[in-house]
Amino acid sequence: MGTAQRPRPEVDRDSAPWWEAVRRHELTVQKCEGCGVLRFPARAVCNKCRSREWAWVPVRGTGTVYSWIVNHQVFMRSMADEVPFAVLAVRLDEGADMLMYGDLAEGDPAALRPGLPVEAVFTDVDEATTLVRWRERD
Amino acid sequence: MGSFRDQAAIAGVGYTPFSKDSGVSTLTLAADAILAALDDAGLTLDQVDGLATHRVGDSTPPWVVAPALGVPEVSWYLDQFGGGSVSHSVVAQAAMAVAAGVAETVVCYRAINARSEFRMGGTGRAPAPIFDVQYQAPYGYFAPPQQFAMYARAHMNAYGTTHEQLGTIAVTQRANAVKNPRALKRDPITLDDYLASRWIAEPLRLLDCCLETDGACAVVVTSRERARDLRRPPVLVSGAAWGGGDSFFSGAGSGPSGSDFTVTEAARIAPRLYAMAGVGPQDIDVAELYDCFTYSVLVQLEDYGFCAKGEGGAYVESGATAIDGALPVNTHGGFLSEGYVHGINHIAEAVAQLRGDAGDRQVPGAEVALSTAQPGYVLAGTSALILRSDR
Repeated sequence: MGTAQRPRPEVDRDSAPWWEAVRRHELTVQKCEGCGVLRFPARAVCNKCRSREWAWVPVRGTGTVYSWIVNHQVFMRSMADEVPFAVLAVRLDEGADMLMYGDLAEGDPAALRPGLPVEAVFTDVDEATTLVRWRERD
Repeated sequence: MGSFRDQAAIAGVGYTPFSKDSGVSTLTLAADAILAALDDAGLTLDQVDGLATHRVGDSTPPWVVAPALGVPEVSWYLDQFGGGSVSHSVVAQAAMAVAAGVAETVVCYRAINARSEFRMGGTGRAPAPIFDVQYQAPYGYFAPPQQFAMYARAHMNAYGTTHEQLGTIAVTQRANAVKNPRALKRDPITLDDYLASRWIAEPLRLLDCCLETDGACAVVVTSRERARDLRRPPVLVSGAAWGGGDSFFSGAGSGPSGSDFTVTEAARIAPRLYAMAGVGPQDIDVAELYDCFTYSVLVQLEDYGFCAKGEGGAYVESGATAIDGALPVNTHGGFLSEGYVHGINHIAEAVAQLRGDAGDRQVPGAEVALSTAQPGYVLAGTSALILRSDR
Protein backbone atom coordinates (compact mmCIF):
# COMPACT_ATOMS: atom_id res chain seq x y z
CA MET A 1 0.00 0.00 0.00
CA GLY A 2 1.19 3.45 -0.81
CA THR A 3 -0.31 5.49 2.00
CA ALA A 4 3.10 7.04 2.70
CA GLN A 5 2.79 8.80 -0.66
CA ARG A 6 -0.60 10.33 0.15
CA PRO A 7 -1.11 14.09 0.03
CA ARG A 8 -0.72 15.53 3.52
CA PRO A 9 -3.54 17.51 5.11
CA GLU A 10 -3.08 21.28 5.02
CA VAL A 11 -3.95 21.91 8.65
CA ASP A 12 -5.40 25.30 9.60
CA ARG A 13 -5.45 27.08 12.95
CA ASP A 14 -8.93 25.81 13.78
CA SER A 15 -8.32 22.21 12.80
CA ALA A 16 -4.90 21.65 14.36
CA PRO A 17 -6.29 20.13 17.60
CA TRP A 18 -8.44 17.72 15.59
CA TRP A 19 -5.44 16.43 13.66
CA GLU A 20 -3.42 16.21 16.89
CA ALA A 21 -6.15 14.01 18.39
CA VAL A 22 -6.19 11.85 15.27
CA ARG A 23 -2.45 11.45 15.72
CA ARG A 24 -3.26 9.95 19.16
CA HIS A 25 -5.84 7.70 17.42
CA GLU A 26 -8.72 9.61 18.98
CA LEU A 27 -11.69 10.82 16.96
CA THR A 28 -13.16 14.07 18.25
CA VAL A 29 -15.63 16.78 17.30
CA GLN A 30 -16.32 20.19 18.78
CA LYS A 31 -19.11 20.66 21.32
CA CYS A 32 -20.42 24.22 21.60
CA GLU A 33 -20.27 25.48 25.18
CA GLY A 34 -23.08 27.86 24.42
CA CYS A 35 -25.76 25.58 22.99
CA GLY A 36 -24.31 22.09 23.21
CA VAL A 37 -24.43 21.39 19.47
CA LEU A 38 -21.77 19.06 18.08
CA ARG A 39 -19.97 20.25 14.98
CA PHE A 40 -17.48 19.18 12.34
CA PRO A 41 -15.28 20.28 10.53
CA ALA A 42 -13.40 22.53 12.92
CA ARG A 43 -14.50 26.14 13.25
CA ALA A 44 -13.93 28.68 16.03
CA VAL A 45 -17.53 29.90 16.09
CA CYS A 46 -20.84 28.09 16.45
CA ASN A 47 -23.18 28.55 13.49
CA LYS A 48 -26.22 28.14 15.75
CA CYS A 49 -25.58 30.42 18.75
CA ARG A 50 -22.33 32.10 17.57
CA SER A 51 -20.55 31.22 20.78
CA ARG A 52 -16.77 31.29 20.62
CA GLU A 53 -16.47 28.74 23.42
CA TRP A 54 -16.16 25.05 22.69
CA ALA A 55 -14.67 21.80 23.91
CA TRP A 56 -13.23 18.92 21.97
CA VAL A 57 -15.21 15.81 22.84
CA PRO A 58 -14.59 12.20 21.83
CA VAL A 59 -16.92 10.37 19.49
CA ARG A 60 -17.07 6.60 19.16
CA GLY A 61 -15.66 6.47 15.66
CA THR A 62 -18.71 4.72 14.33
CA GLY A 63 -21.08 5.76 11.63
CA THR A 64 -22.98 4.71 8.55
CA VAL A 65 -22.13 5.00 4.87
CA TYR A 66 -23.98 7.87 3.19
CA SER A 67 -22.30 7.80 -0.23
CA TRP A 68 -19.13 6.53 -1.82
CA ILE A 69 -17.10 6.38 -5.01
CA VAL A 70 -14.78 3.81 -6.49
CA ASN A 71 -11.99 5.79 -8.06
CA HIS A 72 -10.29 4.41 -11.17
CA GLN A 73 -8.63 7.41 -12.77
CA VAL A 74 -5.11 8.28 -11.61
CA PHE A 75 -5.56 11.93 -10.64
CA MET A 76 -2.35 11.98 -8.62
CA ARG A 77 0.68 10.00 -9.63
CA SER A 78 1.64 9.32 -6.05
CA MET A 79 -1.55 7.27 -5.65
CA ALA A 80 -1.26 5.37 -8.92
CA ASP A 81 -0.57 2.08 -7.15
CA GLU A 82 -3.73 2.42 -5.06
CA VAL A 83 -6.37 2.51 -7.84
CA PRO A 84 -9.04 1.39 -7.81
CA PHE A 85 -9.84 2.65 -4.33
CA ALA A 86 -13.07 3.52 -2.56
CA VAL A 87 -13.72 6.80 -0.75
CA LEU A 88 -16.63 7.03 1.66
CA ALA A 89 -18.76 9.83 3.06
CA VAL A 90 -19.75 8.65 6.53
CA ARG A 91 -22.46 10.01 8.79
CA LEU A 92 -21.31 9.86 12.41
CA ASP A 93 -23.54 8.03 14.84
CA GLU A 94 -23.42 11.06 17.17
CA GLY A 95 -25.04 13.27 14.55
CA ALA A 96 -26.14 12.50 11.00
CA ASP A 97 -25.17 15.95 9.74
CA MET A 98 -21.56 15.41 10.75
CA LEU A 99 -19.93 13.92 7.68
CA MET A 100 -16.44 12.55 7.60
CA TYR A 101 -14.59 11.38 4.52
CA GLY A 102 -12.04 8.63 4.26
CA ASP A 103 -11.02 5.73 2.13
CA LEU A 104 -12.08 2.14 2.64
CA ALA A 105 -9.20 0.68 4.63
CA GLU A 106 -10.17 -2.95 4.09
CA GLY A 107 -12.98 -4.91 2.51
CA ASP A 108 -14.62 -5.14 -0.90
CA PRO A 109 -15.99 -1.90 -2.41
CA ALA A 110 -18.69 -4.01 -4.06
CA ALA A 111 -20.13 -4.70 -0.60
CA LEU A 112 -20.71 -1.00 0.09
CA ARG A 113 -24.32 0.05 0.44
CA PRO A 114 -26.15 3.03 1.91
CA GLY A 115 -26.47 2.75 5.66
CA LEU A 116 -23.69 0.20 6.03
CA PRO A 117 -22.29 0.43 9.59
CA VAL A 118 -18.60 1.37 9.58
CA GLU A 119 -15.89 2.19 12.09
CA ALA A 120 -12.87 4.43 11.96
CA VAL A 121 -9.41 2.99 11.42
CA PHE A 122 -6.33 5.06 12.20
CA THR A 123 -3.37 4.69 9.87
CA ASP A 124 -0.04 6.29 10.70
CA VAL A 125 1.42 7.29 7.36
CA ASP A 126 4.63 8.78 8.76
CA GLU A 127 6.06 10.17 12.01
CA ALA A 128 3.83 13.25 11.81
CA THR A 129 0.58 12.32 10.14
CA THR A 130 -2.23 9.93 10.91
CA LEU A 131 -5.26 9.50 8.67
CA VAL A 132 -8.80 8.37 9.51
CA ARG A 133 -10.01 5.57 7.28
CA TRP A 134 -13.06 3.31 7.48
CA ARG A 135 -14.01 -0.35 7.45
CA GLU A 136 -17.23 -2.31 7.83
CA ARG A 137 -18.31 -2.80 11.43
CA ASP A 138 -19.74 -6.12 12.64
CA MET B 1 -36.15 45.38 -2.59
CA GLY B 2 -34.83 47.09 -5.66
CA SER B 3 -34.47 45.16 -8.87
CA PHE B 4 -32.40 45.57 -12.00
CA ARG B 5 -34.76 43.43 -14.04
CA ASP B 6 -34.54 44.18 -17.76
CA GLN B 7 -32.32 47.23 -17.21
CA ALA B 8 -29.20 45.70 -18.74
CA ALA B 9 -28.77 43.72 -21.93
CA ILE B 10 -26.26 41.42 -23.51
CA ALA B 11 -25.34 43.11 -26.75
CA GLY B 12 -22.67 40.81 -28.10
CA VAL B 13 -20.90 37.49 -27.68
CA GLY B 14 -17.48 36.35 -28.79
CA TYR B 15 -15.43 33.19 -28.76
CA THR B 16 -11.99 31.93 -29.47
CA PRO B 17 -11.77 28.51 -31.06
CA PHE B 18 -12.00 25.68 -28.53
CA SER B 19 -9.13 23.20 -28.46
CA LYS B 20 -6.98 20.93 -26.34
CA ASP B 21 -3.94 23.15 -26.77
CA SER B 22 -4.41 26.80 -27.63
CA GLY B 23 -0.69 27.47 -27.76
CA VAL B 24 -1.28 30.97 -26.42
CA SER B 25 -1.63 32.66 -23.02
CA THR B 26 -4.90 33.22 -21.23
CA LEU B 27 -4.31 36.94 -21.81
CA THR B 28 -4.29 36.34 -25.56
CA LEU B 29 -7.39 34.18 -25.31
CA ALA B 30 -9.15 36.87 -23.29
CA ALA B 31 -8.17 39.55 -25.80
CA ASP B 32 -9.43 37.56 -28.76
CA ALA B 33 -12.77 36.76 -27.12
CA ILE B 34 -13.28 40.34 -25.92
CA LEU B 35 -12.56 41.79 -29.36
CA ALA B 36 -14.86 39.24 -30.99
CA ALA B 37 -17.68 40.09 -28.60
CA LEU B 38 -17.26 43.82 -29.20
CA ASP B 39 -17.26 43.26 -32.93
CA ASP B 40 -20.45 41.24 -32.63
CA ALA B 41 -22.05 44.13 -30.74
CA GLY B 42 -20.71 46.78 -33.11
CA LEU B 43 -18.67 48.44 -30.37
CA THR B 44 -14.99 49.26 -29.93
CA LEU B 45 -12.65 49.09 -26.97
CA ASP B 46 -12.89 52.88 -26.63
CA GLN B 47 -16.49 52.41 -25.57
CA VAL B 48 -15.70 49.88 -22.85
CA ASP B 49 -15.53 51.10 -19.26
CA GLY B 50 -15.83 47.82 -17.36
CA LEU B 51 -14.23 44.38 -17.35
CA ALA B 52 -15.22 41.35 -15.32
CA THR B 53 -14.03 37.79 -14.92
CA HIS B 54 -13.70 34.95 -12.46
CA ARG B 55 -10.78 32.63 -11.90
CA VAL B 56 -9.16 30.20 -9.54
CA GLY B 57 -5.59 31.30 -10.02
CA ASP B 58 -5.68 30.04 -13.58
CA SER B 59 -6.27 33.11 -15.73
CA THR B 60 -5.57 36.75 -16.43
CA PRO B 61 -7.40 39.40 -14.39
CA PRO B 62 -9.09 42.59 -15.64
CA TRP B 63 -6.33 44.80 -14.30
CA VAL B 64 -3.90 43.07 -16.65
CA VAL B 65 -6.28 42.77 -19.59
CA ALA B 66 -7.36 46.44 -19.56
CA PRO B 67 -3.92 48.02 -20.07
CA ALA B 68 -2.85 45.19 -22.37
CA LEU B 69 -5.75 46.05 -24.69
CA GLY B 70 -5.55 49.80 -24.17
CA VAL B 71 -8.96 50.31 -22.60
CA PRO B 72 -8.94 54.10 -22.03
CA GLU B 73 -10.39 54.02 -18.52
CA VAL B 74 -11.95 51.32 -16.41
CA SER B 75 -14.65 52.66 -14.10
CA TRP B 76 -15.75 49.26 -12.78
CA TYR B 77 -14.12 45.87 -12.69
CA LEU B 78 -14.66 42.51 -11.05
CA ASP B 79 -11.99 39.91 -10.38
CA GLN B 80 -14.11 37.24 -8.74
CA PHE B 81 -12.49 34.29 -7.03
CA GLY B 82 -14.21 31.09 -7.92
CA GLY B 83 -14.93 28.42 -10.44
CA GLY B 84 -18.05 27.45 -12.29
CA SER B 85 -20.35 28.25 -9.40
CA VAL B 86 -19.71 31.98 -9.71
CA SER B 87 -19.72 32.07 -13.52
CA HIS B 88 -23.16 33.58 -13.86
CA SER B 89 -22.76 36.00 -10.97
CA VAL B 90 -20.05 37.76 -12.99
CA VAL B 91 -22.55 38.72 -15.69
CA ALA B 92 -25.20 39.40 -13.06
CA GLN B 93 -22.92 41.81 -11.24
CA ALA B 94 -22.01 43.50 -14.51
CA ALA B 95 -25.71 44.00 -15.21
CA MET B 96 -26.10 45.43 -11.73
CA ALA B 97 -23.19 47.82 -12.28
CA VAL B 98 -24.77 48.99 -15.54
CA ALA B 99 -28.17 49.39 -13.89
CA ALA B 100 -26.56 51.40 -11.09
CA GLY B 101 -24.87 53.66 -13.59
CA VAL B 102 -21.38 52.78 -12.38
CA ALA B 103 -20.42 51.50 -15.79
CA GLU B 104 -21.98 51.79 -19.21
CA THR B 105 -20.45 48.89 -21.12
CA VAL B 106 -18.85 45.94 -19.39
CA VAL B 107 -17.20 43.01 -21.12
CA CYS B 108 -17.36 39.78 -19.10
CA TYR B 109 -14.90 37.10 -20.09
CA ARG B 110 -13.50 33.76 -19.03
CA ALA B 111 -10.23 32.60 -20.54
CA ILE B 112 -8.72 29.26 -19.63
CA ASN B 113 -6.23 26.74 -20.84
CA ALA B 114 -8.03 24.05 -18.91
CA ARG B 115 -6.41 21.23 -20.85
CA SER B 116 -2.89 22.41 -21.65
CA GLU B 117 -2.04 24.47 -18.55
CA PHE B 118 -4.31 24.18 -15.52
CA ARG B 119 -6.36 21.01 -15.34
CA MET B 120 -9.04 21.21 -12.67
CA GLY B 121 -7.94 18.90 -9.90
CA GLY B 122 -5.73 17.22 -12.42
CA THR B 123 -2.40 15.60 -12.09
CA GLY B 124 0.21 17.96 -10.81
CA ARG B 125 -2.04 20.77 -9.77
CA ALA B 126 -2.61 21.59 -6.12
CA PRO B 127 -6.23 21.76 -4.98
CA ALA B 128 -7.75 25.21 -4.55
CA PRO B 129 -7.08 26.62 -1.07
CA ILE B 130 -10.32 25.67 0.61
CA PHE B 131 -10.14 24.67 4.26
CA ASP B 132 -12.25 21.54 3.91
CA VAL B 133 -9.91 20.02 1.33
CA GLN B 134 -7.68 18.90 4.22
CA TYR B 135 -10.29 16.33 5.26
CA GLN B 136 -10.54 14.89 1.76
CA ALA B 137 -7.30 15.17 -0.21
CA PRO B 138 -5.31 12.70 1.95
CA TYR B 139 -7.74 10.02 0.79
CA GLY B 140 -7.16 10.81 -2.85
CA TYR B 141 -10.45 12.67 -3.03
CA PHE B 142 -10.16 16.15 -4.48
CA ALA B 143 -10.90 16.07 -8.21
CA PRO B 144 -14.27 17.34 -9.47
CA PRO B 145 -15.24 14.01 -11.13
CA GLN B 146 -14.80 12.33 -7.76
CA GLN B 147 -16.91 14.91 -5.95
CA PHE B 148 -19.72 14.71 -8.45
CA ALA B 149 -19.55 10.92 -8.42
CA MET B 150 -20.12 11.09 -4.66
CA TYR B 151 -23.18 13.31 -5.13
CA ALA B 152 -24.51 11.19 -8.00
CA ARG B 153 -24.23 8.05 -5.86
CA ALA B 154 -26.19 9.73 -3.10
CA HIS B 155 -28.92 10.53 -5.63
CA MET B 156 -28.91 6.94 -6.86
CA ASN B 157 -29.16 5.73 -3.28
CA ALA B 158 -32.04 8.03 -2.45
CA TYR B 159 -34.09 7.90 -5.64
CA GLY B 160 -32.98 4.91 -7.68
CA THR B 161 -31.43 7.09 -10.38
CA THR B 162 -29.76 4.85 -12.98
CA HIS B 163 -26.63 4.83 -15.10
CA GLU B 164 -28.87 4.80 -18.17
CA GLN B 165 -30.54 8.00 -17.04
CA LEU B 166 -27.19 9.74 -16.65
CA GLY B 167 -26.19 8.32 -20.03
CA THR B 168 -29.30 9.75 -21.65
CA ILE B 169 -28.05 13.22 -20.76
CA ALA B 170 -24.70 12.58 -22.48
CA VAL B 171 -26.36 11.10 -25.58
CA THR B 172 -28.95 13.89 -25.84
CA GLN B 173 -26.37 16.64 -25.59
CA ARG B 174 -24.10 15.00 -28.13
CA ALA B 175 -26.97 15.00 -30.59
CA ASN B 176 -27.12 18.78 -30.18
CA ALA B 177 -23.37 19.15 -30.62
CA VAL B 178 -23.60 17.36 -33.96
CA LYS B 179 -25.42 20.48 -35.16
CA ASN B 180 -22.94 22.92 -33.62
CA PRO B 181 -19.90 23.81 -35.76
CA ARG B 182 -18.10 25.13 -32.67
CA ALA B 183 -18.39 21.87 -30.74
CA LEU B 184 -15.28 19.82 -30.03
CA LYS B 185 -17.21 16.53 -30.13
CA ARG B 186 -19.53 16.14 -33.10
CA ASP B 187 -19.77 12.37 -33.60
CA PRO B 188 -23.10 10.98 -32.38
CA ILE B 189 -22.98 8.54 -29.47
CA THR B 190 -25.41 5.88 -28.30
CA LEU B 191 -26.35 4.70 -24.85
CA ASP B 192 -24.23 1.60 -25.52
CA ASP B 193 -21.24 3.83 -26.26
CA TYR B 194 -21.88 5.57 -22.97
CA LEU B 195 -22.14 2.34 -21.00
CA ALA B 196 -18.94 1.05 -22.63
CA SER B 197 -16.90 4.11 -21.74
CA ARG B 198 -14.38 3.58 -18.98
CA TRP B 199 -14.87 4.36 -15.32
CA ILE B 200 -13.39 7.57 -14.03
CA ALA B 201 -14.83 7.39 -10.54
CA GLU B 202 -17.82 5.09 -10.13
CA PRO B 203 -20.62 5.84 -10.68
CA LEU B 204 -19.27 8.29 -13.31
CA ARG B 205 -17.74 7.25 -16.61
CA LEU B 206 -15.61 9.14 -19.10
CA LEU B 207 -18.71 10.22 -21.04
CA ASP B 208 -20.23 11.71 -17.90
CA CYS B 209 -17.41 14.24 -17.83
CA CYS B 210 -17.07 17.57 -19.58
CA LEU B 211 -14.25 18.31 -21.98
CA GLU B 212 -11.20 19.94 -20.49
CA THR B 213 -10.85 22.81 -22.93
CA ASP B 214 -8.54 25.62 -23.92
CA GLY B 215 -10.55 28.63 -24.96
CA ALA B 216 -12.28 31.85 -24.06
CA CYS B 217 -15.68 33.39 -24.37
CA ALA B 218 -16.90 36.91 -23.70
CA VAL B 219 -20.21 38.73 -23.50
CA VAL B 220 -20.87 42.47 -23.68
CA VAL B 221 -23.26 43.90 -21.07
CA THR B 222 -24.67 47.37 -21.56
CA SER B 223 -27.84 49.32 -20.90
CA ARG B 224 -31.04 48.28 -22.60
CA GLU B 225 -31.27 51.66 -24.27
CA ARG B 226 -27.77 51.54 -25.68
CA ALA B 227 -28.18 47.91 -26.74
CA ARG B 228 -31.20 48.85 -28.84
CA ASP B 229 -29.01 51.10 -30.97
CA LEU B 230 -26.40 48.43 -31.62
CA ARG B 231 -25.84 45.85 -34.32
CA ARG B 232 -27.56 42.83 -32.76
CA PRO B 233 -30.94 42.27 -31.11
CA PRO B 234 -30.58 42.90 -27.36
CA VAL B 235 -31.01 40.06 -24.91
CA LEU B 236 -32.23 41.35 -21.56
CA VAL B 237 -30.90 40.28 -18.18
CA SER B 238 -34.34 39.69 -16.76
CA GLY B 239 -33.50 37.73 -13.65
CA ALA B 240 -30.36 37.02 -11.71
CA ALA B 241 -29.62 35.37 -8.41
CA TRP B 242 -26.56 34.11 -6.65
CA GLY B 243 -25.51 32.97 -3.24
CA GLY B 244 -25.39 29.86 -1.15
CA GLY B 245 -24.31 28.37 2.13
CA ASP B 246 -21.38 26.38 3.37
CA SER B 247 -19.62 23.23 2.34
CA PHE B 248 -20.10 19.88 4.05
CA PHE B 249 -20.41 21.63 7.37
CA SER B 250 -22.71 20.27 10.03
CA GLY B 251 -25.88 22.26 10.54
CA ALA B 252 -25.19 24.70 7.72
CA GLY B 253 -28.35 25.98 6.10
CA SER B 254 -30.69 23.85 4.07
CA GLY B 255 -28.66 23.36 0.96
CA PRO B 256 -26.33 20.59 -0.13
CA SER B 257 -24.21 21.28 2.89
CA GLY B 258 -23.41 18.58 5.34
CA SER B 259 -26.61 16.72 5.35
CA ASP B 260 -28.00 16.15 1.87
CA PHE B 261 -26.01 15.81 -1.36
CA THR B 262 -29.18 15.45 -3.44
CA VAL B 263 -30.31 19.07 -3.02
CA THR B 264 -28.15 21.89 -4.35
CA GLU B 265 -27.90 25.61 -3.78
CA ALA B 266 -29.91 25.98 -6.99
CA ALA B 267 -33.00 25.06 -4.97
CA ARG B 268 -32.21 27.94 -2.62
CA ILE B 269 -31.71 30.64 -5.26
CA ALA B 270 -34.41 29.50 -7.72
CA PRO B 271 -37.31 31.29 -5.97
CA ARG B 272 -35.38 34.60 -5.98
CA LEU B 273 -34.34 34.09 -9.57
CA TYR B 274 -37.84 33.44 -10.87
CA ALA B 275 -39.34 36.20 -8.74
CA MET B 276 -37.00 38.82 -10.12
CA ALA B 277 -37.78 37.85 -13.71
CA GLY B 278 -41.48 37.45 -13.01
CA VAL B 279 -41.57 34.02 -14.62
CA GLY B 280 -41.66 30.40 -13.53
CA PRO B 281 -40.18 27.14 -14.78
CA GLN B 282 -43.14 26.70 -17.13
CA ASP B 283 -42.09 29.89 -18.97
CA ILE B 284 -38.56 28.74 -19.80
CA ASP B 285 -38.18 27.96 -23.51
CA VAL B 286 -34.59 26.75 -23.38
CA ALA B 287 -32.27 25.88 -20.49
CA GLU B 288 -28.49 25.86 -20.52
CA LEU B 289 -27.72 23.95 -17.33
CA TYR B 290 -24.19 23.73 -15.99
CA ASP B 291 -22.92 20.34 -17.04
CA CYS B 292 -19.48 19.78 -15.67
CA PHE B 293 -20.89 16.26 -15.33
CA THR B 294 -24.14 14.67 -16.45
CA TYR B 295 -25.38 14.48 -12.88
CA SER B 296 -25.32 18.25 -12.38
CA VAL B 297 -27.89 18.58 -15.18
CA LEU B 298 -30.14 15.99 -13.59
CA VAL B 299 -30.13 17.58 -10.15
CA GLN B 300 -30.71 21.08 -11.54
CA LEU B 301 -33.78 19.93 -13.47
CA GLU B 302 -35.20 19.14 -10.04
CA ASP B 303 -33.87 22.12 -8.17
CA TYR B 304 -34.98 24.70 -10.75
CA GLY B 305 -38.45 23.18 -10.62
CA PHE B 306 -38.85 21.41 -13.94
CA CYS B 307 -39.71 18.15 -12.20
CA ALA B 308 -40.10 16.93 -8.64
CA LYS B 309 -37.15 15.99 -6.43
CA GLY B 310 -36.01 12.51 -7.36
CA GLU B 311 -37.64 12.55 -10.79
CA GLY B 312 -34.78 14.06 -12.78
CA GLY B 313 -33.81 10.69 -14.19
CA ALA B 314 -37.29 9.88 -15.43
CA TYR B 315 -37.60 13.40 -16.82
CA VAL B 316 -34.55 13.07 -19.06
CA GLU B 317 -35.58 9.55 -20.12
CA SER B 318 -38.92 10.95 -21.26
CA GLY B 319 -37.15 12.97 -23.95
CA ALA B 320 -38.24 16.27 -22.45
CA THR B 321 -34.74 17.73 -22.58
CA ALA B 322 -34.08 16.93 -26.23
CA ILE B 323 -33.86 19.78 -28.72
CA ASP B 324 -37.48 19.07 -29.78
CA GLY B 325 -38.69 18.31 -26.26
CA ALA B 326 -40.67 20.38 -23.80
CA LEU B 327 -37.49 21.86 -22.34
CA PRO B 328 -34.50 21.80 -24.70
CA VAL B 329 -31.38 21.61 -22.52
CA ASN B 330 -27.81 22.43 -23.48
CA THR B 331 -28.65 23.09 -27.07
CA HIS B 332 -24.99 23.63 -28.02
CA GLY B 333 -23.97 20.27 -26.61
CA GLY B 334 -22.90 21.77 -23.33
CA PHE B 335 -19.57 21.35 -21.63
CA LEU B 336 -19.89 17.64 -22.31
CA SER B 337 -19.66 18.08 -26.08
CA GLU B 338 -19.18 21.72 -27.14
CA GLY B 339 -16.40 22.59 -24.73
CA TYR B 340 -15.86 23.80 -21.22
CA VAL B 341 -15.29 27.48 -20.68
CA HIS B 342 -16.39 27.26 -17.09
CA GLY B 343 -19.91 28.62 -17.52
CA ILE B 344 -19.89 31.57 -19.86
CA ASN B 345 -20.42 29.59 -23.05
CA HIS B 346 -23.81 28.61 -21.63
CA ILE B 347 -24.73 32.29 -21.45
CA ALA B 348 -23.47 32.87 -24.99
CA GLU B 349 -25.55 29.96 -26.28
CA ALA B 350 -28.65 31.27 -24.52
CA VAL B 351 -28.06 34.61 -26.25
CA ALA B 352 -27.78 32.88 -29.63
CA GLN B 353 -31.04 31.04 -29.02
CA LEU B 354 -32.87 34.22 -27.99
CA ARG B 355 -31.54 36.15 -30.99
CA GLY B 356 -32.70 33.34 -33.24
CA ASP B 357 -29.28 32.79 -34.73
CA ALA B 358 -28.43 29.33 -33.38
CA GLY B 359 -28.51 27.78 -36.84
CA ASP B 360 -29.40 24.10 -37.14
CA ARG B 361 -29.88 23.83 -33.39
CA GLN B 362 -32.26 26.78 -33.07
CA VAL B 363 -35.23 26.23 -30.79
CA PRO B 364 -38.08 27.85 -32.74
CA GLY B 365 -39.49 30.95 -31.10
CA ALA B 366 -37.31 30.83 -27.99
CA GLU B 367 -37.98 33.97 -25.95
CA VAL B 368 -37.00 33.11 -22.38
CA ALA B 369 -33.86 31.21 -21.38
CA LEU B 370 -32.41 29.94 -18.14
CA SER B 371 -28.64 29.69 -17.90
CA THR B 372 -27.00 28.34 -14.79
CA ALA B 373 -23.73 27.92 -12.95
CA GLN B 374 -22.30 24.94 -11.12
CA PRO B 375 -25.11 24.27 -8.68
CA GLY B 376 -23.26 24.82 -5.46
CA TYR B 377 -21.17 21.81 -4.74
CA VAL B 378 -17.50 22.35 -4.01
CA LEU B 379 -17.59 26.08 -3.26
CA ALA B 380 -21.14 25.92 -1.91
CA GLY B 381 -22.78 28.73 -3.81
CA THR B 382 -24.32 29.09 -7.22
CA SER B 383 -25.58 31.69 -9.67
CA ALA B 384 -28.02 31.81 -12.54
CA LEU B 385 -29.56 34.14 -15.09
CA ILE B 386 -32.91 34.38 -16.80
CA LEU B 387 -32.51 36.06 -20.15
CA ARG B 388 -35.21 37.13 -22.56
CA SER B 389 -35.40 38.55 -26.01
CA ASP B 390 -36.28 42.24 -26.26
CA ARG B 391 -39.01 42.02 -28.84
